[in-house]
Amino acid sequence: MAEEKVKACINLHAVLRNLEDLCELDPMSRKIIQGKNVALKFSVVGISKSVITFTEGKCTAVKGDGPCSINLYFSSPRNFNLMIEGKKNPIPTKGFQHIGFLKNEFTKLADRLSYYLKPTAELLGDKEYARINTILTAYTAFFAIPEIANWDPLGQLNASRIADGAINVEVIDGPAISITAKGGRLETSKGKTANARAFMVFDSIDTASGILNGTLDSYSCIGEGRLSISGFVPMIDNLNKILAQVPGYLM
Amino acid sequence: MKTYSYPRSQEIFRRASKVIPSGIYGHLGPSQGCFIPVQAYPFFVERAKGAYFWDVDGNRFIDYMCAYGPNVLGYNDPDVDEAVSKQMAIGNCTTLPTTKMIELAELLVDTVTSADWAFFAKNGGDVTSFALMTARAATNRPKVILFHGGYHGVAPWAQKLGYPGITAADTENNIYVHWNNYAEIQAAVRDNPGQIACLMAPPYHHPIFEDNQLPAEGFWAKVRKLCTDNGIVLAIDDVRCGFRLDNRGSDYYYGFKADLICFCKALANGWNVSALCGTDSLKEAASAVMYTGSYWLSSAPFAAAIATVTKLRQIDGAKLMLAQGRKLTAGLREIGLVHGFDLRISGEPSMWFMRIANDDNMLLHQEWVAECVRRGAFFTNHHNLFINCALSDEDIKHTFAIAEDAFKTVKERHPEIF
Ligand SMILES: Cc1ncc(COP(=O)(O)O)c(C=O)c1O
Repeated sequence: MAEEKVKACINLHAVLRNLEDLCELDPMSRKIIQGKNVALKFSVVGISKSVITFTEGKCTAVKGDGPCSINLYFSSPRNFNLMIEGKKNPIPTKGFQHIGFLKNEFTKLADRLSYYLKPTAELLGDKEYARINTILTAYTAFFAIPEIANWDPLGQLNASRIADGAINVEVIDGPAISITAKGGRLETSKGKTANARAFMVFDSIDTASGILNGTLDSYSCIGEGRLSISGFVPMIDNLNKILAQVPGYLM
Repeated sequence: MKTYSYPRSQEIFRRASKVIPSGIYGHLGPSQGCFIPVQAYPFFVERAKGAYFWDVDGNRFIDYMCAYGPNVLGYNDPDVDEAVSKQMAIGNCTTLPTTKMIELAELLVDTVTSADWAFFAKNGGDVTSFALMTARAATNRPKVILFHGGYHGVAPWAQKLGYPGITAADTENNIYVHWNNYAEIQAAVRDNPGQIACLMAPPYHHPIFEDNQLPAEGFWAKVRKLCTDNGIVLAIDDVRCGFRLDNRGSDYYYGFKADLICFCKALANGWNVSALCGTDSLKEAASAVMYTGSYWLSSAPFAAAIATVTKLRQIDGAKLMLAQGRKLTAGLREIGLVHGFDLRISGEPSMWFMRIANDDNMLLHQEWVAECVRRGAFFTNHHNLFINCALSDEDIKHTFAIAEDAFKTVKERHPEIF
């Protein structure tokens, strides 16, 4: 099913991708991967692979094929999604000796990730939690955008309406992301791009957090100057329609 | 030059946000209105007169948006408002219509060359939808040819699949072609035999964020013939251009005859009435479509429209606005050039579009427009602008001074470019 495919793409390339940032931002996660040396490949039939490497206390997630020490094979996007939902255990086709990493460290990391991605009002009251939540939520949303743009039928339509060029998204005192459109296909990367054509700036972590967690109305924030938009604005209008599809896939 | 600030506007906006979705929704709001940066723009008007409005902080603006078109004679035009007052004293929204309705229909039939009849509603979108339904009723066909980047209001059929609230069924009968691309229109007609009810188009292409485009030489003559030969109703959406190019209709202005023509914005100088006019052959279809609304036959807006159209004819409003627009745009372009800005003007001068083309992301343009607004010339950066008949040579001169100061300010801010 197309929907399972998009969901799997998002789960892998937007949600799990966050392990990279989680291991940098969260001291507890950093501790979990201390001294580990593992390259985890996710091979899901029908979608791009991803290799998540843990080495020297750092994690990097790279979209595409590459060498690995453990290969996790999923015969369909649905089976991968079930694993993400905790309803199925991953089965390695390579690297049985690392099964302990999967059962222990990887499971703990996954728990840390959902701790940060599933906020409660109480948790958000903690400034450091809110900061990490916002960064990871923003990365999830903006890395999910190309997956929806490239594979979801309505996403493809809205993406086809985005003129070629880059859109910079920036949170003041927080992360920056750029989304590049070319011929209706989108790609997200961390950091700003020079010569972007459109710009979206959240004035603070608080504003970004409120908008991404649905407690602030983005239109009112534009009026109040908390979210500013400039440049070739139609690019952002169409991008936002794709962004609005993200929560539907994360449920 | 003194620049404005807007503490009260901003305070009131916060109050609005609590009880109104997005504070100010739609094209008058900071989001769709592309207030960039929002700090440069006022949000609420306190009063308006002639070519000006004053915001809630007491700042005066020469208004080049004209309420996005309705202000055509000048705000609170005494002749229009007197006609409205007189009608209000007699009756407005009543169980049966008054004869004001016939007077207005007669006036439009007499004024608009292609019109044999007139049907009234409230908004532009009411009559573009009605034009499409009338064309479908007349032809018994489902499809409509539209232009990419066109705007015909917010009815679901006029929006795009992928937008919030829109389903595939809403837009499945739309065929999109590019402006001035006759071959594409021809191909659409060829590929959908007996399926196309209507071709709906503005008289010229006035999208947002892009240079506007006039019809190419011979474009309308070819499209007119193609529609006639294939039994397709040619509906002109004159909601934005109507009475700003020619009182006789923008189809007349470009030398062809529409089957249906939609009017709204400039029709009643801000009073709420729109009209679909058409040729005799479509009168029966227009009667057959079930179409009405609570306020559509109210008499005060009819009185306003009669006074507005009568005055526009007397003073030849369209000619006057085109002339003022030419003066203004030529001056703005020239002042820009002096300071190193390539300010491109497109569209018709009475409702021109402008864009600084030194960069490809509109940033310089948005900065310059913001500096003009802060100095009292109300422009937007994404949409075509509008002239009204009350705009004086003195106002144009003052606008030049504002534009010059704004150009200088932006230039000084960007030594890396200039
Ligand atoms: C060309 C055109 N058609 C239709 C409409 C819709 O009119 P309204 O907003 O009154 O429904 C507009 C409004 O801007 C317009 O410019």
